[in-house]
Amino acid sequence: MRSPVRFERRLEQPKWLNWAIPVVSLIAALVLGAIVLLATGKNPLDVYSRIFERGFAGTRALSGSIKTATPLAFTGLCAAIAFRMGLINIGGEGQFYMGAVGATWAGLVFGGDLPTGAVVIVMALSGMVCGGLYAAIVGVLRAKFNTNEIITSLMMNYLAAIFLNYLIYNSTSYWRDPESRNFPAGKPIPDRADWNFYEVGGIKIPLAFLIAIIAGAAIWVLYKRTRFGFEVGVIADSPKAARYAGIRTTSTIVIVLALSGALAGLGGAADVGNFRGLLDSKGLQMSGYGYTGIVVAALARLNPISTLFVAVLIGGLTNAGFALQGPDFPSGLVGTLQGLILFTAVAGEVLVKYRIRRNRRAAAVMA
Amino acid sequence: MLSKTRGSLGLALVAALGIGLVACGGDDESSEPAATEAPAASEAPAGSDAPAGTDAPAEGASLANFTPWSADAPVVDCAPDEGPLKAAWIYVGPTNDGGWTQQHDAGRQAVQDHFGDAVETTYKENVPEGPQVLQTIEDLIADGNTVIFGTSFGFQDAFVEAAAAHPDVCFEFATGYKGADNLSQFYGAAEDTDFLAGMAAGAASKSGKLGYLASFPIAEVLRGVNAWTMGARMMNPDATVNVVWVNSWFDPPNERKAAEALIAEGADVLGQKGIDSPATGDAAKAAGVPWAGYNTDQSANYGDVWLTATEYDWSVYEIARIQAVLDGAWVAGNYYGNLSDGFVTLAPFGDLVSEETRAAIQAELEKLTATPGSQFTGPINDNKGNEVLAAGVSHTFEELMSMAYLIEGVVGDIPAS
Repeated sequence: MRSPVRFERRLEQPKWLNWAIPVVSLIAALVLGAIVLLATGKNPLDVYSRIFERGFAGTRALSGSIKTATPLAFTGLCAAIAFRMGLINIGGEGQFYMGAVGATWAGLVFGGDLPTGAVVIVMALSGMVCGGLYAAIVGVLRAKFNTNEIITSLMMNYLAAIFLNYLIYNSTSYWRDPESRNFPAGKPIPDRADWNFYEVGGIKIPLAFLIAIIAGAAIWVLYKRTRFGFEVGVIADSPKAARYAGIRTTSTIVIVLALSGALAGLGGAADVGNFRGLLDSKGLQMSGYGYTGIVVAALARLNPISTLFVAVLIGGLTNAGFALQGPDFPSGLVGTLQGLILFTAVAGEVLVKYRIRRNRRAAAVMA
Repeated sequence: MLSKTRGSLGLALVAALGIGLVACGGDDESSEPAATEAPAASEAPAGSDAPAGTDAPAEGASLANFTPWSADAPVVDCAPDEGPLKAAWIYVGPTNDGGWTQQHDAGRQAVQDHFGDAVETTYKENVPEGPQVLQTIEDLIADGNTVIFGTSFGFQDAFVEAAAAHPDVCFEFATGYKGADNLSQFYGAAEDTDFLAGMAAGAASKSGKLGYLASFPIAEVLRGVNAWTMGARMMNPDATVNVVWVNSWFDPPNERKAAEALIAEGADVLGQKGIDSPATGDAAKAAGVPWAGYNTDQSANYGDVWLTATEYDWSVYEIARIQAVLDGAWVAGNYYGNLSDGFVTLAPFGDLVSEETRAAIQAELEKLTATPGSQFTGPINDNKGNEVLAAGVSHTFEELMSMAYLIEGVVGDIPAS
């Protein structure tokens, strides 16, 4: 009962695999998707051209995709920076919420007085501090007590959700709009706290996405060009060796998680400043940006620059998905197509590290 | 340890995907009737003079219980120059949620069946509240849709923005309160059917201790709690209603826990408002306790414990409004339907409701059909002992829309408001 094939670890990973595997994965996804579409009586070419048209073709589609991608870029970076060190921070969701809480506070307090530019900076910093501190709790627990950060960061997502509900639904908090007596809602930030959109070649780009590009570049520099980044790499490969080498692993764990949370928190600030304009407890919880960010980071192979592009890809696919659905195109089928693309992309990853060998000779020997 | 966890990246990814999916599917009905602020402009939408027993929706612009935002509200021409009229619905949950969204999609299908080839309907489901809403609206307009229905309170600001950007598109919004020249609001008097359901519940209780699950302490839900309690006490004068706030429109596990807790505290009949899942019914069924549902007729699935429920028929409004577009007579305004036009109805009774109780409910149903909201006539005290309405005095429509008290007989408080 031997399997006819086996995986064999590649001794070296040729450069061409880095682009060949994603391309082949995408083709595989399209072929698999076409089979599903044909089975449900759809014309795959029509469907694919519509996905392309609504997700990526033209300035309107791209503007929409970048808008949808913006929160995912931040949560993607949040996941990527922690995962690179082997810290599985599932808490981007909660850290995003806390960033939104902090940024809304800053926007409400300073939005009426300071000039717009200053308000944006204060909101962004406030969001980063709140998200960062929230993730640092996970970091301290991990560093001091060796608590599993997957569990703690996940649990803290639920805590953050309850905290949001408390602020908007169960208290007369500073974040809640006192005018919203009949339906609890967040207090809108003043106009001056609104973040801008910029038009580049007809494509509307939110300020927050430009900040995400800067953040992505900064992380790339941090990890590739600094001593800190080198240490993180050593710890990721072998914590024991890192300790022998005198690297302070405990403080590095806390710092990396705090940075990770700060990025998610910055995303929360962007959500308030660029899009919603208030703390939207229910809307945030429905969106699940933090969890989607993990997918984005994984598809980007934890590379901060690729994360930005993958975020736009997922943003476009999301918008195209909504464009596709309707009475004769159930959202379940849309989800299946999106899932196929993600699945083949992640599955393709295996082929970067391993190659497939046939087991024929082994079988022959046994016979 | 660190190197070990790195290996579990794949596992974490799978976990995250799973959680994400749950999160997506979870908040289905968050929209629920957020009836909110008094649909400002409507002066007398209660339509007490509506012809009782009209089951066919009104033709053209003459829709009962509909009031234009102003006397000189402009006619918006959103009919296409040629081809079928394209209308779209945007839902916050899946169309098979067994409640809010399912009922809305039934309305859409009724519109499609009624107009046949003259109208082409579509929908978008599972649209999360936030930036995605405007994106979806723009997409629908790019596809040629000129009438757009929104069914989640959290979509409201996106609808206001889209209405301003597309003056030639007709926007219809359920359960909100903001209007514009091309943005209408529609909802209806569920408090009347809630009152009738409460009567069935009160009659079914032996101990006089009833349990009630409520979502958020907003006016629309408070109207339901109070009307239901009033109905129960009409049949069972000493009855008390123990209210639990679930703080969600859709959270089946917590709903079930809350329902079980109410039963453990001695409640022998359960009811619910603003709660979409039948999880309360599951708890009731397990304990053999009678249950009044909400939103959909669940008599087939919960026959042993089923009493009745408030049901919505959204097509009553929607068919008339699409007709108005086709007639070139669409103006924006506010609609508050009721029993008289069939917008709200009482679901079929379960076997637990006696003939005597049915007769009593029928009598009240006729009164409420003739004069919606008339159950809120004094003397009415709140549950702190203060007089709310003196004998013979009724709430105005605005008072109903901004209700902020719990009536005598309710055990519980309004959480921080």
